[in-house]
Amino acid sequence: MSDVAKKPEPKKIPRPLPKPGVYMDTRPFWDAAHQGKLVVQYCKDSGRAQFFPRPVSMVNGRRNLEWREVSGRGTVYSFTNTYSAWPGHEDRVPYLCALVELEEGVRMLVNLHHVKNEDVKIGMPVKVCFEKLSEEYDLPGFEPA
Amino acid sequence: MSTRKDIAVIGYGETKVTLKGGRSSYDLAGEVFEQVLVQTGLEPKDIDGISIAETMSETANPFWGVYMCEMLGISPTWMQLNGLGGASGIGGIARAAAAIRDGLCETVLVLASDAQSSSRPTEQGGQRHEFQYPQGLRGPVGAFGLLSQRYRHQYGLDDRALAKLAITQRNHALMNPNACDKLQKPLTEEEYLSSKYVSEPLRMLDSVMVCDGANAVLVTSTEKAKKYGAKRMCHPVGYGEITNFKGADPLADMTVSGFSVAGPRALKQAGMAAKDVRMIMPYDDFLIALVITLEDIGFCPKGKGCEFVMNTDFTYKGTLPLNTSGGQISAGQPGLAGGGLNLVEGVRQMLGGAGARQVSDPRNCMVTGIGVIPYGRNWGVSNVLILEQS
Repeated sequence: MSDVAKKPEPKKIPRPLPKPGVYMDTRPFWDAAHQGKLVVQYCKDSGRAQFFPRPVSMVNGRRNLEWREVSGRGTVYSFTNTYSAWPGHEDRVPYLCALVELEEGVRMLVNLHHVKNEDVKIGMPVKVCFEKLSEEYDLPGFEPA
Repeated sequence: MSTRKDIAVIGYGETKVTLKGGRSSYDLAGEVFEQVLVQTGLEPKDIDGISIAETMSETANPFWGVYMCEMLGISPTWMQLNGLGGASGIGGIARAAAAIRDGLCETVLVLASDAQSSSRPTEQGGQRHEFQYPQGLRGPVGAFGLLSQRYRHQYGLDDRALAKLAITQRNHALMNPNACDKLQKPLTEEEYLSSKYVSEPLRMLDSVMVCDGANAVLVTSTEKAKKYGAKRMCHPVGYGEITNFKGADPLADMTVSGFSVAGPRALKQAGMAAKDVRMIMPYDDFLIALVITLEDIGFCPKGKGCEFVMNTDFTYKGTLPLNTSGGQISAGQPGLAGGGLNLVEGVRQMLGGAGARQVSDPRNCMVTGIGVIPYGRNWGVSNVLILEQS
């Protein structure tokens, strides 16, 4: 065994695509995103929005829920400039992860686009935009309004 | 628990914390099991209860707890598996106390062991495949980046206070032979401040390093402890816990933790105020967690944590000794056994076994736990245990 086998290139992990319908039926969220719309779950009894999608209402524990399109407007609650990438995001470093509060009263974990870390301010108005991840998946993110 | 002292902690064990040591959680657990038996003079048959922390390394096995009993050769009449993350250790003491009082068992090994740095990561599933992985938030590091930024915005965050905590704990780790070798070197303020960002504003030196290790404490009734001839013991006299803090509030203030509930509960049960605490061993996955923990338990007003840190001597010789074995940040985080690291140090101090770093007059000790990073909020589980001398 004198021949040293060529070391294979370390396998690059692709950016993770969403896996809808694994923990519950979230397909309406991704179908809407594919059409450039942002929808979130609403508790029909209380009229309160909730995110991420849950099997029950966070208000009363009932399953009387529906998807409604929201404005896509919000403000930055917090943000972080990511240098240590989650697997599959190495090419994007540094990238901005943020918590955005929608006008409808929910917080979403998203990427911020079209803005530099030093220009992001907590409380700054942002609006939804969509990042094409594949033919099937468009990921809601936010950009300065 | 009130201020009854009917339950006693009479022994402890701890392995050295290693980075990618390659030994399994079972093997590491065996080492602390033997230590506890030797220290207390008990035999395996005396242990009729076991509380085990969930792990990152073995949790894919749903029978992990039962396998552990088989590995150790014990047949407990009460077994508890705690999935509270870093809150599983002191949560185990509270549950053991309840089980002993209920007559389910008499003598409980509260065990945590994890070879996380030597194993493949456990998949947590749930919403993460859709609402975290595609966005690329870097797990706890990313979540604490978000938390640090928000805290900085609301109250200001004094980097010198964080540096002081880092250096105090590092100096303690230098006195702890069980601390991870890689962390056994002095740290300066300049080194802390120039540490690279992992998830800005969070630095590398704000964060734990995931390692392998195990720890355990032995809990029994005070009556039984006397029969065993235990010369030293301490008693759990106050406990508070909350899971999924503010879980139904989609806009909860991210800077407020469940310690605002668990802290006052534990203190009230112990009949104490924060100022009465002799030493504290708070869960330290990230330095900012220490600041928030101190505020929410009531050592200082909300937003004044950094000031409190700057004005307090946390060394083992100080007014409020803190994480005197180095904490997880400077001893290394033995995976989900990390919650037991500061617990064991608290018990060690209370039993007078801390050697060169022994705290004088170890009359009581507060230990805290943190577990789980939820979506868009502060951490999920907070718990507080207060130990007191007889």
